[in-house]
Amino acid sequence: MSSREKKRKKQSLNPSPSPSPSPESTPNSSLPDDLVVSCLARVPRLYHPNLSLVSKSFRSIITSPELYRIRTLLGRTENFLYVCLHFPDEANPRWFTLYRKPNHTTKKKKKESSCNLLAPVQILNSPPVELSGFIAIGSNIYAISPTIEDSPSSNVWFLDCLTHTWLEAPRMRLAQSNKFMYLAGSSEKPESLNCVQVYNTKTQTWKPVLSEKPIFKIGNLEGKIYMKSDKGFLAIKPKDLTKQVVELDTESGRESICMIENITYLYVPSGKFLWKNFNTNGAVLRRLEGLEGLPKFARYSTVKLVEHGGKLLVLWDKYVRASGQKEKMILCAEISLEKRNNEEIWGKVEWFDAVLTVPNPYKFVGAVAATV
Amino acid sequence: MSSNMIMLKSSDGASFEIEEAAARKSKIIANMIEVECVDEDKAIPLQNVTGNILALVIEYCNKHIVDDDDDVATEEASEEEEEAKKKKVDDWEAEFMNSMSLETMFELLLAANYLNIKSLIDLVCQTIANNIKDKTPEEVRKIFSIENDFTPEEEEEIRKENAWAFG
Repeated sequence: MSSREKKRKKQSLNPSPSPSPSPESTPNSSLPDDLVVSCLARVPRLYHPNLSLVSKSFRSIITSPELYRIRTLLGRTENFLYVCLHFPDEANPRWFTLYRKPNHTTKKKKKESSCNLLAPVQILNSPPVELSGFIAIGSNIYAISPTIEDSPSSNVWFLDCLTHTWLEAPRMRLAQSNKFMYLAGSSEKPESLNCVQVYNTKTQTWKPVLSEKPIFKIGNLEGKIYMKSDKGFLAIKPKDLTKQVVELDTESGRESICMIENITYLYVPSGKFLWKNFNTNGAVLRRLEGLEGLPKFARYSTVKLVEHGGKLLVLWDKYVRASGQKEKMILCAEISLEKRNNEEIWGKVEWFDAVLTVPNPYKFVGAVAATV
Repeated sequence: MSSNMIMLKSSDGASFEIEEAAARKSKIIANMIEVECVDEDKAIPLQNVTGNILALVIEYCNKHIVDDDDDVATEEASEEEEEAKKKKVDDWEAEFMNSMSLETMFELLLAANYLNIKSLIDLVCQTIANNIKDKTPEEVRKIFSIENDFTPEEEEEIRKENAWAFG
């Protein structure tokens, strides 16, 4: 490049005026797609619906797996609660996701205007299995269905939360994730676990379970989820888990349970929140302290506990008074947990809101937080 | 620390002197230095970067050489000192980005991308993200100079799908 200009030695902190100043309203430089993706990946998901209205290219970026890949690289993925409900006279269950409106995310409950709500999720297909429980692994929600439990070779379906499509995992008997969760797929006896296959959700391939892997034996392992803890594996069956793991005498099976950092939290219909640490020998069930401001649930309430980014989400329902028992509303509370010592955990209610009104009767199929 | 100076020349012919250590924040320039295609007397021509943007890039690089050099010495630094230092950098970055228009930000991002300065790309992308997140679609279109290519029907459809978000 021939330089007509003389060398100007300059280290000024003030940028020299642009040779062709362009007003803000007519930008002359547009960004290549990869830089647009880099910018959009840094925008929290709750703003995505609005941004998807900008243009077709924005919409396709926002729904692309590439955006998720970059968000993962940047550590910008977020925990999103998915809720599955079955309404009367409908063939397929409906899905919802907890949407927290911008600018109101930290406000406490306001009368009449919720700032948190369950937004419908459009899911194009439906798996040909009955859904009864879910495990989220990354951006996929795996369905645990009675079909899986009954037949050794039945297939596992998972909801891909990036595309909101149900996909079929390869045939399996037992599944393993990168978090070492197991999905029992057959009538295996505990000792036969050594010869069954595991499914790696990362590589989407099957491998035999290594025989030296410690298996924590709790009762009969058929048809359950196996969770790895420091001491081995815990077997958890969504339906009557409390009977076997927590050894609690259940009266109706309405307890809800979830595990957060090796501590199991559960709600019993008598109105108590309890917890138990399986890593501590001789751990007993203890009451979750605090919870100031959390309303008492009705005895008939369906209550679900879900881990959500290290916090506890509690979902419960109650009748809408004016509807004459034709409608229920689902409420949700976010509870942060503070471990004060080995014997005390305090829960602080961050917010609670009525998040959805549903027809009664309906079936609360499940709730789980996926990373998207 | 060696204070080798090198010269950079913008697309509009402005020359800048910069410490080699600062210039090395750019992977492209660092590579050029590695393979010794930098003539001490000649400026490195940067054909895709104008003078006013290059001045900003250099300001950023100068601010950040110090931080990187300190990495070796920070082992003794206490956590508090570390935090105080990080806050200082954050404050500086916030002010740095605050002082420019979105238009300039875009040009700066293109320059950072061309020169391959990762931390600057991250900083500008984050600032743009913060800027656009609560803007209306129309405002975002203006910022990115893109056309609305949805038909009114398609737009209505998307609004319907996400009705809960726009309520």
